[in-house]
Amino acid sequence: MVLEHPQDETRHHFTEILHEIQHGLVRMGSLVEENVLRAGSAMVEGRIGLVEMVRNADEPINEMYARLERQTFETLARQQPVAGDLRFLVATTRILYELERSGDLAVNCVKVLDRLHGLPEHPELNATLRQLVAATVKVFRMGIDAIADMTDDAGVVIEQADDEVDDLVSEYYTTIAQVSGDIGLDAGIGLSRIGRFLERIADHAVNIGENVQYIVTAEFPGDTHAALTDED
Amino acid sequence: MSESGDHVTTRATEQPAPADETSAEAVETHPPHSPVTPIFRVRDLNVFYADFHAVKDVNLIIAENEITALIGPSGCGKSTVLRCFNRMNDLIDIARVVGDVRYHGTDLYAEDVDPVEVRRRIGMVFQKPNPFPKSIYDNVAFGPKISGFKGNLDELVESSLTKAALFDEVKDKLGDSAYALSGGQQQRLCIARAIATSPDVLLMDEPCSALDPIATMRIEELMQNLKQDYTILIVTHNMQQAARVSDKTAFFNVEVDEGGQRTGHLVEFDETGKIFTNPAQPATEDYITGRFG
Amino acid sequence: MTLDKPVIDTAAVVHQRLTGRRVQWRELAFETALLLMLLLSVGVLVVLLADVIAASLPVFRTRAGDFITGQLSSSATTAGVGSSIIGSLALTAIVAVLAFPVGIGTAIYLEEYAGDTRLARLVRTNIRNLAGVPSIVYGILGFAIFVRFVDAVGLGGATNGRNVLTGGLTLTALVLPIIIITASEALRAVPDSIREAGYGVGATRWEVVRSHVLPAAAPGVLTGTVLTLARAFGETAPLLLVGAVTGFFTLGSSATLLDRFTDAYGALPVTVFAWSRQPGDDFRALAAAAIVVLLVVLLTANAAAIILRNRYERKW
Repeated sequence: MVLEHPQDETRHHFTEILHEIQHGLVRMGSLVEENVLRAGSAMVEGRIGLVEMVRNADEPINEMYARLERQTFETLARQQPVAGDLRFLVATTRILYELERSGDLAVNCVKVLDRLHGLPEHPELNATLRQLVAATVKVFRMGIDAIADMTDDAGVVIEQADDEVDDLVSEYYTTIAQVSGDIGLDAGIGLSRIGRFLERIADHAVNIGENVQYIVTAEFPGDTHAALTDED
Repeated sequence: MSESGDHVTTRATEQPAPADETSAEAVETHPPHSPVTPIFRVRDLNVFYADFHAVKDVNLIIAENEITALIGPSGCGKSTVLRCFNRMNDLIDIARVVGDVRYHGTDLYAEDVDPVEVRRRIGMVFQKPNPFPKSIYDNVAFGPKISGFKGNLDELVESSLTKAALFDEVKDKLGDSAYALSGGQQQRLCIARAIATSPDVLLMDEPCSALDPIATMRIEELMQNLKQDYTILIVTHNMQQAARVSDKTAFFNVEVDEGGQRTGHLVEFDETGKIFTNPAQPATEDYITGRFG
Repeated sequence: MTLDKPVIDTAAVVHQRLTGRRVQWRELAFETALLLMLLLSVGVLVVLLADVIAASLPVFRTRAGDFITGQLSSSATTAGVGSSIIGSLALTAIVAVLAFPVGIGTAIYLEEYAGDTRLARLVRTNIRNLAGVPSIVYGILGFAIFVRFVDAVGLGGATNGRNVLTGGLTLTALVLPIIIITASEALRAVPDSIREAGYGVGATRWEVVRSHVLPAAAPGVLTGTVLTLARAFGETAPLLLVGAVTGFFTLGSSATLLDRFTDAYGALPVTVFAWSRQPGDDFRALAAAAIVVLLVVLLTANAAAIILRNRYERKW
């Protein structure tokens, strides 16, 4: 199995580098997850003070992206990887992108929050948003776990879990439409953008899962090629 | 809020150049980024074979406990340069070494320096495994014996073989002929033999070119372990090996003058990661991408 | 001229081409010619041996033991090769003691220490030339110098210098170049990689030579030496000039060891020469018998050389 090697193997040094990169991805993913939670907290509990924190927390995420990418390219250049090692390193460059974009999306959410000076008080909206954030984080966590565990069906499993997010987003839009009269157009647009951002975070997690599945099985699940269907 | 536990293996953090690097020329000879303890300092090294100018104007600083690779096309002088570090060129009548080669500050080519002592401290492993036609034990024990080692020879042989990752395979047959071992094992025996005189430097002249890929990998792995205790210089015509194994890489090239004479010279010397992702010299890029040589 | 496009044969054509066998007449003729030459060479030797053995049978059938232990004599019925054998052995011993160390030492110096200077090359060339000098020239040298020298230092004995010492010195001069060349070849055959390895761990030149080069070259040197001594055993011409006795001689029963070395002596090949010049079938038979003895000794020496070489051949 990928990234698992016999005890007495002869490329210890190289294997260590690969593990390092893997741990780096997991750590970066955890930072992103933390920030999404933070953004969620800011939106749902109205804690505007967290906005600045979310913005600042994105910097180390970007630094890790640059560093891990550089490390990955250098490893590709120096170690002549093939087979599973090559798939891992190539997929890592894609996963890095998905993680970094997810981090940016969290920041986008609090930017909206900032511009609107807080979200409108509406219990039903709030409840749906809370559920949506929870579902998004859950799916994203599944993506990070997939990187750590290198499961062979991560793409399929996370795609299914994403359905829940998609359903919640639909529900959220419907609710926004219903109360748009009360909250005003500006807020309505802002809230639906937030919904969009959260949906895309979950989609990035699905892509991560599909890339992990590719690392392990050398195939992308189904006909949809993750890289081709990636938005934005 | 950054997670600062990440350990970066390749790029060391930016540091000011070591205090004694004052001239612009010196900056060129050594990558200014990483803090190093220099063990060798080479200045204006030129090597002649009778009238033939084999290598010209080499300036290098070799850092301690690192693996430095010398790469380049045939005839670029990398083996010649390597052999300057332990005065093996003395054995060639027509070879003439001009320049400054300092080891821990001492000029290796000074009048009062004994080449025999130099070679005890700076060991060498050759391209084709060349164990003595003696037993495995005697191969390793020879060096220490002639340098007057008075301690427990058995222990020394065992620890040398262990460090060379060979002891387990031969511990029951130390009295057997060295020639009964496979090529890869023989080369590890030669490494053990070199280590036995307690050098602090190992010079390796294409040590894997006569070995199969698995044996090669084992020796590359061994080198990673050895570098904690030794400084290693390796000449290799396999640049992928240099990429995998070394911390710093020196690229040598051949210059052909109007008379047709081919002289080797140093083109670029830098961290291996940089050389293989973004070399400064076009000639370097051409060579490592396989465009020439 | 352009190349035609390759014709792609059908499977049947290929099969026919591969299996159709034509007799290679030239091959056959060449092989037969070589075989004939082999037979010729071996045949000549076989004929010679057969002839000699047949001629010697009269002697061996009647008095083999006496013959081998007997003294030289003018009488064909009592002559024996005993003293000649002893003389030859003494000569060979002297050659071994003198030529072996000097020759090998010279070879070591030339190969390991001398380098490739003009002078060294000159010396090597001249040694090679000396090896080709006819042995009788060494006889003249021996007579002119060694005999007089030995006599002058008081070891001339009753023969005024024509003794085993002189003979030994002369033969030594003769074989020295050959030993030097053989030993040089053996040393050169030791791969340089072993020397490099020795220097690499900080050995001095002498340590490398003593611990690695010499032991590796030993089988070759040994074989070469034994073969050279065997050759010295069979040398005739120089001994004739420095005074090996061809007729009867005796040292008397009170002869001391020194006497034996400084007094008259005989040598087997010289004895063969002497007897073959005597008229009469008896002496011809004696000569043949002596030749047989000579051959037996030489064959034994060669066999010993081969056994030794195989024994010490690199077991590594």
